[in-house]
Amino acid sequence: MPAKPKFAFYWAASCGGCEITITELGMRLVDFSEKVDIVFWPAAMDYKYEDVHSMKDKEIDFTFFNGAIRNSENEEMAHLLRKKSKILIAFGSCSHMGGIPGLANMFDIESICERVFDTAPSLDKSKGTRPVIKSKMPEGDICLPELYNQVKTLAQVTDVDYFMPGCPPVVDQVWKVFNAALEGKLPPKGSVIGVNPKTVCDVCTRKKVEPGFKIKEFHRPHEVELDPDLCFLAQGVICCGPVTRAGCGIPCLKGNMPCRGCYGPAEGIEDQGAKLASAIAAIIDTDDVEALQQTLASIVDPAGTFYRFSLADSIISQIKYKKGT
Amino acid sequence: MSHDNSIETFADQVKAIPGGENLEICYSCGTCVSKCMIQQKLEPDFNPRRLLRMVMMDMREEAFESPTTWYCSQCDLCYSACPQEIHISAVIAAVKQLAVEAGYSTPLSTVTVDETLCAGCGICVMACPYEATHLIQKEVAGVMDLFSEVDENRCMGCGICVAACPLGAISREGVSNEEINKQIKVKNQKFAPSLVIFICDWCLRENDDLSILESYPANVRVIHIPCSGRIDPQMALLALRSGIDGILVCGCKPGECHYQHGTDITTCKINLLDTMIDQIKLKDHHVKFVQIGTQERGRIRQEIDNMLETLTARKESH
Repeated sequence: MPAKPKFAFYWAASCGGCEITITELGMRLVDFSEKVDIVFWPAAMDYKYEDVHSMKDKEIDFTFFNGAIRNSENEEMAHLLRKKSKILIAFGSCSHMGGIPGLANMFDIESICERVFDTAPSLDKSKGTRPVIKSKMPEGDICLPELYNQVKTLAQVTDVDYFMPGCPPVVDQVWKVFNAALEGKLPPKGSVIGVNPKTVCDVCTRKKVEPGFKIKEFHRPHEVELDPDLCFLAQGVICCGPVTRAGCGIPCLKGNMPCRGCYGPAEGIEDQGAKLASAIAAIIDTDDVEALQQTLASIVDPAGTFYRFSLADSIISQIKYKKGT
Repeated sequence: MSHDNSIETFADQVKAIPGGENLEICYSCGTCVSKCMIQQKLEPDFNPRRLLRMVMMDMREEAFESPTTWYCSQCDLCYSACPQEIHISAVIAAVKQLAVEAGYSTPLSTVTVDETLCAGCGICVMACPYEATHLIQKEVAGVMDLFSEVDENRCMGCGICVAACPLGAISREGVSNEEINKQIKVKNQKFAPSLVIFICDWCLRENDDLSILESYPANVRVIHIPCSGRIDPQMALLALRSGIDGILVCGCKPGECHYQHGTDITTCKINLLDTMIDQIKLKDHHVKFVQIGTQERGRIRQEIDNMLETLTARKESH
């Protein structure tokens, strides 16, 4: 690393939460801005794409790329930043695994547009509006990026050096990664960084269940009064803790909310949703076979719950798009 | 001859354990033996009738060494058949408890925990039909933490916990994730559809049915698992991703599961997987779970042929 490494921070299909986590660095941000030369950060500073285009290849020392790849602009910037960066880090759940935008892979683009422009409750009664890539206007052509039919992860469109999960990555982990990058102490390429070993359950301090316990009915967190000291699964509330990588510092659990899985599948798990389904199925009360269907029906939106952040990166998504359906 | 009441007989000890009290009403008709899958499929010397006689005749060592004591998985197929309504598996469990107390241990292949992987989540504790797993606080590599621990004398080796463990921390020889995944390879042929069959060791009662499985060509791969509860949805997805056209999971009929709840757990897994596949609109997927009853001879061929027919039709339409 040079004395003052060049740093870029870009957002693609994301909510902006990853940007906010950087501001959470507080006073450390001052320290950080002295240590690095921020060359591109559209959310915080006034840079244009031309500025990046005019850089030499590999001129940027490290780039944090947050957000999924939803449209042609996202993809173009992914390729551009890959070309201009020595180290490209997929920052946050969306870039790592598709994140919340990745849930759109349950639908095709036309049914999404139909919902957004035609059937969603709205004061605007005009129907049939659709995004158009190129529109002719008196002043000239106006172009919009093309919306893709599939939400992709950063690694599905370009070569990624590191993956830093989290929605958003927690600030202390960000700081650790910053410093590791500055000191040239990053692990081998392809590693998931800013994380801890094992799963959320490993660090969760809630009282675990007793042998023989089985779930008769599932509840969503807002439907029941939650015991802050007892395992969520023991309360019939789906928690992604058993399959989710540790490292977040369990803020959700401390706030009496179950793990939603944003740190992605733990080491050794390839498909977070399928593995969670396997674990959940094994703890359902099956004594009354008649009631079984009812118990299963009480799991609202299994795909959205089990794959909340990892759908675009899941095996199930890979099968879907491999087949071109 | 006078009888000394102060000496506790083996039968007295068994009867003192809850479940063992019905021992004496057994009149050795042997209906239980005729119902038992273990006796037919695994261990000819498995014989509940004889074990109960051994207890009554004070044959302590013989009973402790008998496979009947250890192999019974409490499927309770015999319970509903017993004219005396003896909960035979409970009597056997009482004998097993005494055997363990006397220092005997299970001859079965049981699961082990890899503590370097175990996160102490407790999923296995909830999943095990035999309450063989529990969490304990202990020091591993200098760190005090919760880990899963297996009571091997309770474990029946069904593999339900192996499938439930998210981290692959629990395993059993022969049915580890690696060993099963290695078998999910079918040479993809252009015309013949590829099918993977996961078959539980217990749902096919007759040898005729087992030989049916061997009669199919190489595009049909049969993977034997102790219980349908051993499969996990990730396995099915890995198979589909590798280009396999269909997956057939075969287990026992509800109420006849050799490991009590395995087949019901599989119902839940396949139901959840199906729902997710529907939600994600994965077309042309083919994962099917069939539950084969002990009386349904020949059904396996019918199920495989139906599946192959569906897959062939689908392949031709593309």
